[in-house]
Amino acid sequence: MEAAATRPRERAFLQRYGTLTAVLVVALAIIIWAYTASAQQTQAVLASTIRQSTPLVLGALCGLYGERAGVINIGIEGQMLLAAFIGFLANVYTGNLIVAVTAGVLAGAAMGLFLAFMSVTLKMDQIIGGTVLNILAFGLTGYFYQAGLTTQGKLQPIALGPLADLPLVGPVLFNNPPITYLTLLLVGISHYVLFYTRWGLRTRAVGEHPRAADTLGINVYKMRYINVTLGGALAGLAGAFLTLEAVGSFERSMTNGRGFLALAIMIFGKWTPLGSWGAALLIGVTYALNTQFQFLGLVDIPHQFIGTLPYVLTIVVLAGFVGRARPPAADGVPYEKE
Amino acid sequence: MRRVTVLLTTLLLFSLLLVACGGQVGNEPEAEPGAEVGTETEAEEEATEPAEEEEETEPAAEEEESEAAAEDDCASEEVFCIGLVTDVGEIDDKSFNQSAWEGVQAAAEELGAQTEYIETRDATDYGPNIALFGDNGYDVIVTVGFALGQATLEASQTYPDVDFIGVDQFVAPEAPEGWEGEWPPANVAGLIFPEDQSGFMAGALAGMLTESNTIAAVLGTDLVPPVVAFKEGYEAGARYVNENVEIISTYHPGGLDVAFTDPEWGASTAAQAIDQGADVVFGAGGKTGNGALIEVASHEGVYCIGVDTDQWLTVPEAHPCLVTSAMKLITPGVAELIRASHDGNFPNGNYVGDVGLAPFHDFEDEISQDAKDRLDEIKSGLESGDISTGYNPG
Amino acid sequence: MSIGNRNWADRLRTFWRGASIPLVAVALALLIGAIILVASGASPIAAYEALIIGAFGNTTALQRTLEKATPLIFSGLAVAFAFKAGLFNIGAQGQLLFGAITSAAIGFGVTGLPAIVHAPLALLGGAIAGGLYGAIPGALKTYTGAHEVITTIMLNYVAINMTDYLADGPLKDTSPGNIVARTPAILPSAEIPTLGPIPLGFVIALIMAAAAWWLLWHTTLGYEIRTVGLNPSAADYAGMRVAWTVILTMILSGLLAGVGGAVETQGVIGRYQPGFNVGLGFDGITIALLGRTNPFGVIPAALLVGAMRAGSSQMQFSADVATEIIDVILAILLFFVTADLVIRWLLRMRAPGVEEEQVTLSSGWGQQ
Repeated sequence: MEAAATRPRERAFLQRYGTLTAVLVVALAIIIWAYTASAQQTQAVLASTIRQSTPLVLGALCGLYGERAGVINIGIEGQMLLAAFIGFLANVYTGNLIVAVTAGVLAGAAMGLFLAFMSVTLKMDQIIGGTVLNILAFGLTGYFYQAGLTTQGKLQPIALGPLADLPLVGPVLFNNPPITYLTLLLVGISHYVLFYTRWGLRTRAVGEHPRAADTLGINVYKMRYINVTLGGALAGLAGAFLTLEAVGSFERSMTNGRGFLALAIMIFGKWTPLGSWGAALLIGVTYALNTQFQFLGLVDIPHQFIGTLPYVLTIVVLAGFVGRARPPAADGVPYEKE
Repeated sequence: MRRVTVLLTTLLLFSLLLVACGGQVGNEPEAEPGAEVGTETEAEEEATEPAEEEEETEPAAEEEESEAAAEDDCASEEVFCIGLVTDVGEIDDKSFNQSAWEGVQAAAEELGAQTEYIETRDATDYGPNIALFGDNGYDVIVTVGFALGQATLEASQTYPDVDFIGVDQFVAPEAPEGWEGEWPPANVAGLIFPEDQSGFMAGALAGMLTESNTIAAVLGTDLVPPVVAFKEGYEAGARYVNENVEIISTYHPGGLDVAFTDPEWGASTAAQAIDQGADVVFGAGGKTGNGALIEVASHEGVYCIGVDTDQWLTVPEAHPCLVTSAMKLITPGVAELIRASHDGNFPNGNYVGDVGLAPFHDFEDEISQDAKDRLDEIKSGLESGDISTGYNPG
Repeated sequence: MSIGNRNWADRLRTFWRGASIPLVAVALALLIGAIILVASGASPIAAYEALIIGAFGNTTALQRTLEKATPLIFSGLAVAFAFKAGLFNIGAQGQLLFGAITSAAIGFGVTGLPAIVHAPLALLGGAIAGGLYGAIPGALKTYTGAHEVITTIMLNYVAINMTDYLADGPLKDTSPGNIVARTPAILPSAEIPTLGPIPLGFVIALIMAAAAWWLLWHTTLGYEIRTVGLNPSAADYAGMRVAWTVILTMILSGLLAGVGGAVETQGVIGRYQPGFNVGLGFDGITIALLGRTNPFGVIPAALLVGAMRAGSSQMQFSADVATEIIDVILAILLFFVTADLVIRWLLRMRAPGVEEEQVTLSSGWGQQ
């Protein structure tokens, strides 16, 4: 790795994008090949990939906003779970899905605010803050959940006119329920905001070098509060996705580790929205393939081996192609004003 | 002054969380946590007040409250007490824990018995949780799930005067190594079900209903024998009526701890199956399966089949697609064994409970008379042994 | 005499300074828990009474508490130990599972040994398995730069699948009538006994905590680990083998988790069975944080959580309170223990001096 750092910039640049291009080309080739072999199955797998990656991308974006501003968030799981629960309750009692999604997002944001309060104002260790959120959400949702609550429907796919009739991309990309569309938009928006706006520049400055940012008149505390709360709202959206779009019901501990997976995906994506999206798609496609292999009865080995595929593949890709990732320099460090 | 603010803000935040949770359920989400005066204890109480309308309603909260007072009497001869230990999970799991508990309640109502349950949080607690009932003089202890089998057998020796009902616990023909005393133990009844037969009928219905000739099953984990039995039966049943049917089925790829509590995976997997032409989906795997059922409900022209109980009642969200459920009648089985224990004719060893398809409810008219006749035929064939599901555990 | 008195007063004051925050935090957490209980229509007095009886009411209860605390000490130590080198080991769960299944395999598979050899051998097997599984993320981090948070999370999933496969495949109990995925029972010679109400595993846990403490603060390796944790570039500059230290720390961390799994197999469960051992590794994070990543702090933290877990069944039995309230209380407790600002204000205590240990773990998030 040290050799890579001393290499001329252009070559490092080329090398980075060379791998990316190669991966994209190979992926595209595989998809086209699969599509010609079985259009229906390919569509099913890719649609499933988008579905399964949605909560993971949102969770990763949640972590991303916090960490770019210098606050580690390992409480994504808890934020998602509580938001899923609140969104579910709102759906049960109002029957209005828009209200329910809003309630979920607000619940996530409230959890984010609490994390910001712990890590910025109280200067608590941020890993502890996140753990508090996780346990708290698990306990509260488990304690207050009652059986026999029935939701009133879930978000349905919306076909985007003629786009939805395109082969392959139509059913996969342009016939999704609203939160899925929103997630795809949010990936792009987040990328733009973080890297091409003043706000993003300030956020990153606060995460990289808060002292310098402070000197330049940026309010470090405020930036961190807003970004962590914003991240919470995104985790809330992920929770809302689970109960209001994907499942339509709530169950105790239904996040099942997706928040932690999202954290891993964010790091895998090197703290960038597009990278996280790619990583989430990778996990999503392995989940979908996992199911597809079992459907087809293709391989005659215990399904536990196929079950490890997403995780082994992640490790291999990470170790082989992605390598060292550098977090924001001030990530995890409480900021003390002088 | 700053610290005062800090403390109050903290408490406020906690109260907000509580409001967020409690307010939805209770009637008074609005309260004023704004009055920030007084000692810190007062502030705390004020801050959390909004949630006070909260009420916890576990399925049997009422019964228990009235009975709690007399709890100590279980040791006496006159009071008949029934305890239930769940498998890891909750009493209101819309699945086997809940069905067994309903059986306990049904029997208790008839016999005027006292009931109590303990939800197991950690598998190493099976023994201690059973002991809690044993030590308190309970007369019958129901343990739910095959995983409690060993703990139940051990407890049956410690508490020879208690009758144990083990749901899904197959009592082996031979005593385990190192077993002392008679075999099978006189105070253990294993309530088991031929799930493969239930699955077979569900599969047969699916095989007749499908128009695309593709049917699917979304399952919990194969580490749990009843799930495997349901699956094997389902596939055999479908092929029995429809030789050309294509069956795509999949187990949850995770461990025991998540395989039954992952509705999102269930939903996503069901969608993936439907996307490639499946038009009947069998969801068999607790909450994971329920996720599959609810997903199917939003796809026009696709049927779903529930499992264990009549899920028409437990998963109302699935009404648009739920033709039937592959049932194992845990509730009446448990109730019957409790009655037998009460009357002094407790059957030990394995006790085979009933299985069958749940009513078709709204789909009564959609299923042809021919299909219904065929199902009746298959049911009697399975019962008489003329039809074999081909499932062979172990 | 007067000097002695002052000494005692000083000691008492020092003790109070150390213990006051956790104690007040426990009180506050129970208070807020009580408010939630009242709010949801339950009696906090009945609930807490049942909780205490269930955890300490008799020798069986006490033994249960210790049994519950034992694996938590191990996984807490595992997480805390890695934190000292700036590594966040979320993978204690996977390491613990491999430790548990390996010790079970040795426990039933190796025959003809006396207990004095067999039990330690199985324990050692568990330790090695956990250590090797911990070495993977360490080596990946060192040689490829793969972040341990990702790899340990992923390896947890791999471990669950692999141990499930083993318990349902090659290591499955094939005795007649068994259809359940589990290994055969371990031989009596591999069991870790219980001395009165005290499980020997608990004693082993205490010894391991002391060993971890000694290693961290009284050996060169420990110094290197802590230096790497505080500032890897400085450690590198000082000529320390940072890469090797990272791997070794992960091995030792995994080893602690692995022993925890082995003790659970040999002392409590008696075999390996999927569905047991769930969550113990994740609890390690909570325990390590509650114990301020200090090996000796881990012990009271694990005892507290163990007691709450052991008493929760009794609480549900006699007070009809859902056991999840335990987690709510735990979260609030963790908050107050860490947010000592709040408690210091309550007790009119001064802010911590330089010499007092401050908890900062996340500074090592992405270093090296």
